Amino acid sequence: MRRRSLRKPYITIIEELIKFALSVFLLSVLVFTLARLAPGDPLYAYYGERVEKMSGQEQEAARERLGLDKPIPVQYMRWAKGAAHGDFGISYQYKRDVKEVIAGRIGNTLLLGGLGFVMIFILALFLGLFCAWREDKRADRVVCRIGTLTSCIPDFWLSLLLILVFSVWLGWLPSSGAYSVGAEKGFADRVRHLILPLAVVVLGHLWYYAYLVRNRLLEETRADYVLLARMKGLSGKQVLYRHCLRNVMPSYLSMMAIAFPHILGGTYVAETVFSYPGIGTLAYESARYQDYNLLMVVSLMTGILVILGNMFAKILNERIDPRMRLKREAQKEEVRGF
Amino acid sequence: MDVLTVKNLSVSFYRPTGEIEAVKNVSFSLRPGEILVIMGDTGCGKSVLCKSIVKLLPDIARIKTGQIFFQGKEITDYTEKGMQELRGTSFSMVFQNPMTALNPCMSVGAQIAEAVRLRCPEISRRELRNRVIELLELVELDCPKERAGQYPFQLSGGMAQRCVIATALAANPAVLFADEPTTSLDTEVQAQILDLFLELREKMGMAVIFITHNPKVAARVADRVALMRAGELYRIGDAEEIFEETIHNHH
Repeated sequence: MRRRSLRKPYITIIEELIKFALSVFLLSVLVFTLARLAPGDPLYAYYGERVEKMSGQEQEAARERLGLDKPIPVQYMRWAKGAAHGDFGISYQYKRDVKEVIAGRIGNTLLLGGLGFVMIFILALFLGLFCAWREDKRADRVVCRIGTLTSCIPDFWLSLLLILVFSVWLGWLPSSGAYSVGAEKGFADRVRHLILPLAVVVLGHLWYYAYLVRNRLLEETRADYVLLARMKGLSGKQVLYRHCLRNVMPSYLSMMAIAFPHILGGTYVAETVFSYPGIGTLAYESARYQDYNLLMVVSLMTGILVILGNMFAKILNERIDPRMRLKREAQKEEVRGF
Repeated sequence: MDVLTVKNLSVSFYRPTGEIEAVKNVSFSLRPGEILVIMGDTGCGKSVLCKSIVKLLPDIARIKTGQIFFQGKEITDYTEKGMQELRGTSFSMVFQNPMTALNPCMSVGAQIAEAVRLRCPEISRRELRNRVIELLELVELDCPKERAGQYPFQLSGGMAQRCVIATALAANPAVLFADEPTTSLDTEVQAQILDLFLELREKMGMAVIFITHNPKVAARVADRVALMRAGELYRIGDAEEIFEETIHNHH
């Protein structure tokens, strides 16, 4: 502890950067190797059914052209060299630059995931507060039951159920895609296509976080300071909002920072079922068809998001919690003292 | 007239395994400006007695029988709304462990300010600040201006207890409940806090119900003493009388 406290701030930053680079490197090696060891032939992604009509020699030649004939470490070196220069290769399936393929899709995923995240963030807080306020009353019990039920339903099944009810039976909402053909710019059309996938993303995650807020709040309501606050003449509800919530916020915020990539990842299932053209469908297809270059970039992007989310959570936590913040400031004083 | 009168009060905890009577048929009255010490072993029901008067019992506990009067008015059946009014203005409480009684994520000044603002919502920022510092000076905290901006974990136990007392005094209460306020402090600080109670009583004229299990602490502050054992209040009288009696009984 003491040794750490004497370090200068920039050393901490460098340390974090090294950790970050190391994690990304390890992740890339892992994904690269695993993808190549998985059964299946990437030539199918490139040539489709035509592969079966190709002679052995032609197949060898194709492999050589795509650089798939070398041993895995050599292939990795080649990939890493390209990646360092911003060249991630081409997608075998789309036969276009990987960056282009992703650029065309990432907006859709960020819209779905971002919107889902914001909704989960706000709704979980309200639900948690509501349940903590009505602890063990009927309303709390009902919400808890429904919440547990929805969070236990697998996302893909919930998606199918929603499609069945709202698209097939009622015909209110479209069952797939991000927009109708020929109406790419229409706002209303866009929203109509978003509702069902968004519902799946939100319902799939909401209760986990709401329950977390509820339980952390209930822990706080048993603390001594609640009695002092009540003795000031505050009502139970006021104590919950003004005192307990304040103590729960730091851990909630850091929790949600970690949850961001998780929820974004949750969109992958919704995207796949609703054929929503986002990163999720890309990830699924690229893994299925051995589209190595695409798979690498999609996994690395997701991985980097997870790592950044964790780092952000740590920084956030230190900023908000006065105990952490003041300890940090005291450490700085100490550094100046030397 | 007595500030507070308790008649035949019984309080029970209702657990799935059965009913536990924590306070049994307790009667006493509190005179204006006096310090009444309620003494008894841990678990004899002192704390529950106080919490039942201010109605901050846990959900599983209930007042079974009895009556409570505050300044001649019966408050036994007061609802949460009425009790909130009383807690903010007439009743205050100081707790055993000052470090946990303060919200760890709020500066002590903000916590005292909250109590002040609840009584006069119209107060200006500057006035509020002055009032907080006034209260901290009243409880003899050094450097009140700097301390107001600090968080509980930056204070010692004694300092934190002074802040809790300042919070309790913000309402200018008629009755101050002190639930073992010195138990978690070391001896020297204990003496200082006890003197502070005596001094504050002189200055502000409130009546104090002081709970302790420590006879030395009781002897230092008590005007009258009530003795409790297993939920029953079996003896109440002037401090000198009771202590003499106890000493007499022991020889």
